[in-house]
Amino acid sequence: MNEHIVRSYEEELNQLAAEVVRMGGLAEAQVNDSIQAFARRDVAMAQAMIGRDGKLDAMEADIERAAIRMIALRQPMANDLRRTMSAMKIAMNLERCGDLAKNIGKRTLILAEAEPAGPVTRSIERMGKLVASRLKEVIDAYTNSEVDRAVSVWSRDTEVDEHYESLFRELLTYMMGDPRTITAGAHLLFVAKNLERIGDHATNIAEIVHFEITGQEIVSERPKLDTLTP
Amino acid sequence: MPPESAAKMHRPTLLAGLAGAAAPLALAAFGQAQPTPAILVALAVGGLGLALARRDPEPATRAVETAPAAAGDPLPYAAIIGALEDPVMVIAAGAPGETAGHRLAFANPAARALFRIQRQDARLITAIRNPQVIELVDEALIGRIAGHGVFEAGGAHDRVWVASAQPLTGETGSAPLALLVLRDQTDLRRAERMRADFLANASHELRTPLASLTGFIETLRGPARDDAVARDRFLGIMQTQAERMARLIDDLMSLSRIELNEHIAPQGRVDLALAVTDVADALTPVTRDKGVRIDWSAPAAAAATVEGDRDQIIQVIQNLIDNAVKYSSADGVIRVEVSAPASGETPPPLDPEAARLALLAPDHRPGELYALLRVSDSGPGMPRDALPRLTERFYRVEGQKSGDRSGTGLGLAIVKHIVNRHRGGISVESAEGRGATFSVWLPLAATGQAAGPEGVVKAS
Repeated sequence: MNEHIVRSYEEELNQLAAEVVRMGGLAEAQVNDSIQAFARRDVAMAQAMIGRDGKLDAMEADIERAAIRMIALRQPMANDLRRTMSAMKIAMNLERCGDLAKNIGKRTLILAEAEPAGPVTRSIERMGKLVASRLKEVIDAYTNSEVDRAVSVWSRDTEVDEHYESLFRELLTYMMGDPRTITAGAHLLFVAKNLERIGDHATNIAEIVHFEITGQEIVSERPKLDTLTP
Repeated sequence: MPPESAAKMHRPTLLAGLAGAAAPLALAAFGQAQPTPAILVALAVGGLGLALARRDPEPATRAVETAPAAAGDPLPYAAIIGALEDPVMVIAAGAPGETAGHRLAFANPAARALFRIQRQDARLITAIRNPQVIELVDEALIGRIAGHGVFEAGGAHDRVWVASAQPLTGETGSAPLALLVLRDQTDLRRAERMRADFLANASHELRTPLASLTGFIETLRGPARDDAVARDRFLGIMQTQAERMARLIDDLMSLSRIELNEHIAPQGRVDLALAVTDVADALTPVTRDKGVRIDWSAPAAAAATVEGDRDQIIQVIQNLIDNAVKYSSADGVIRVEVSAPASGETPPPLDPEAARLALLAPDHRPGELYALLRVSDSGPGMPRDALPRLTERFYRVEGQKSGDRSGTGLGLAIVKHIVNRHRGGISVESAEGRGATFSVWLPLAATGQAAGPEGVVKAS
């Protein structure tokens, strides 16, 4: 019966946002799975999550198409335009998160062939959990249109950076201690970097959510740790 | 299921109600379809929820209260489902091909609280966006297939849920319905994980000395066969390593013994001051070797008599003083202080600038008095973030004398379990470079009467 009802403009906007949330759920699951596969050295899980990345790409394309259709047919203005655009931009960021997660999955496959790295793996897992919780929070903020929550994610990005800095040092020490671990160490370094980038995308999404709701950009300069990160 | 069919003969309505409430759980547990009663009830609730949701925008609780009266049924099915602690939801399918269009036709208070659902007919995706669950619901709605899966809700409290989705038959012509029930499995997962961690740690700790023993044996049989000096030196090292393994195994065994008795109240009485004297005397050779002095102060005899198992109390004191000696520099001073009576609260700080944390806080009865034991060392201290993890098995503060690891990493875990058995508390205060103080407080024995039997009664 539903297909006979002409859906309202508002309904269409809500549906677009719901699709973004659904994509967010998938991206979140990809990130979580990649961290879990990495921490447990679970090759099957890593392969499964790598295989699911295509779904995320397809969803991004769908959302983009729907958003462009909206713009073409409904010519949204002001708030509605911001909602349409932010759906598109968030989808883009989520897709990038998915790519980075896939990359962690691929490195997990390589790392599974080397010796377990021990405590460094634990540190990376901890950082991964932190990043995953940021991503969850920002998607929650988008789902419920909560500016405060988005701002809180945005302003706490330094925590992830700090984690990355300390991991960087830990990994250098680890590699210097035994040159045979350099191959694994380099991969671990990239895993940590990917996590840090996922954290950056979560921050981006927080900025988009803020703009979508308030119509203004977050003004104050975010405290940033810039010693090693380019 | 014979009991159920028997009940069916006598009280069909009751069965339907109970089965309706329990079937989702039973289904999730046995993975077996048993459609009729569950679907009937859930359908009644779901349908009503839908009807009410469309009619008035009142909060769900109102709808739940009015539902049974409208149905004219003797049992308040909706209230039963509302009172369930597991989140229960009924989902109505959205337009074909639009997974994000599924909406909640009904959600019990547990589900509303968990997923912070505010709107009456919120989209499912705004509550749960885990792709696995969405897929389960999709299959139940469109494919009419029941299924269940495990999913983790991320965030600060990592909760693990088992989700089970089953198709429901709605009124003809209405959108397809599905029932989604979640069950919390977090504790189960956590216990599994802890066990795995413990095994990994314990075997790692045992392997290190074993590897060194094997290495030295090889050397002694090969290159050092005729070298008397090297042989003597190696045998000395081997003995140290073997002793270390023995200590570790002793600690592991005593930990498991203590855990076995952890919920049985200890019998007997111990004078804490006397026990401290005994331990200090026994440790004299160790302290003399290291050049450490123990300064101690205690109240008059019998003033600090606590209910407890003497051997275990001695073990607590010994582990604490042992740690203090281990982390003190040569010619350091260890302060041991016994005082009574004390309140059951975390004792006041000795050093206002140090970080302070209660590692174990007893549920103390009002008016109950405690004896307090404090052991302070002048060692390197610990950073604030290390404090919460001190009683974890095999935990070691990062960067602290990894070369001379004479401890097993189990000492404080043992202390915690013993003190917990004695209904006492532990706190620690420390700052880097300023030493550490461990405080243990234990309930004072009741004066005049035998403490043993009373303790047992209290525990039961």
